[in-house]
Amino acid sequence: MDKLVIAGKQFTSRLLIGTGKFSSSKSMAQAIDAAGAQIVTVALRRVDITNKDDDMLSAIDRNKYLLLPNTSGARTADEAIRLARLARAATGINWVKLEVTPDPYYLLPDPIETLKAAEILVKEGFVVLPYINADPILSKKLQDVGTATVMPLASPIGSNQGLKTRAAIEIIIEQANVPVVVDAGLGLPSHAAEAMEMGADAVLVNTAIATAVEPVKMAEAFKLAVAAGRMAYLSGTAAESKKANASSPLTGFLRNE
Amino acid sequence: MGLLKINGKEKIFPDNKMPVTIADLLRHLGVDSTTVVAELEGQIIERKNFSTTPLLAGQTIELVRFVPGG
Repeated sequence: MDKLVIAGKQFTSRLLIGTGKFSSSKSMAQAIDAAGAQIVTVALRRVDITNKDDDMLSAIDRNKYLLLPNTSGARTADEAIRLARLARAATGINWVKLEVTPDPYYLLPDPIETLKAAEILVKEGFVVLPYINADPILSKKLQDVGTATVMPLASPIGSNQGLKTRAAIEIIIEQANVPVVVDAGLGLPSHAAEAMEMGADAVLVNTAIATAVEPVKMAEAFKLAVAAGRMAYLSGTAAESKKANASSPLTGFLRNE
Repeated sequence: MGLLKINGKEKIFPDNKMPVTIADLLRHLGVDSTTVVAELEGQIIERKNFSTTPLLAGQTIELVRFVPGG
């Protein structure tokens, strides 16, 4: 069976889900389930000691899903490393989605700080899944320092613009020897299918599902799109040409010539 | 009285109310310790050590937990 393997761990689902922006923990849990996801991302923040609202993530069954803590909010390698270490202490597992985003407007990842943090975290035994711009050279360098995946962005986080970085992601996929997870900016199931058709190993979706009018239905739509895109990739896509190529026979026409 | 800097904010405790351990502090704050990780003076304290890690006046502590995120 076709499986996604990250750091030796096998997954049947190729759709990773972010847990942010859902209107309730119930709709979040139902959407994760409808997506068939096995990996879900979470963030780490200070406890609000003045507001002891319920823990939104208690709705997630940690035996069923792999919690992938991110380092969101980190602006430097040092901040990301600190968050990764805290997350490891919290989960007891050493997986981390490394993101270093110094610019709050476009939330684009800092390649230099990301590489620096990745190198240190890998040495500390972390399974590092770095969120990066679609940069083939950076991807290679991250693989060289031992990251478990590369996660190039399709377009800025939460922008729903789709695969704006297609050409660069094609090169990353061609050169990668670790799974390529297209992360950020996938706004529609068709965007996810397109990434999978290109040969991406997985996609990570949050905003497009969480802020849909019906998140649970949208989660299922993404699940189907990811499966369809993967199946198309494995089927070997047919060649594109400029001129028409008739699908019906060009002989036996009912006319006299 | 004793002072602790909790998540960036100073909190003053009367002498007889000063939490003795991290577990004590979380009880005092009404925070469920099963979902929290602490960083005391820059050192990560694992949950299993909350009840044995002493707190001293003047220390800085960060209490963090997972929240929804992408």
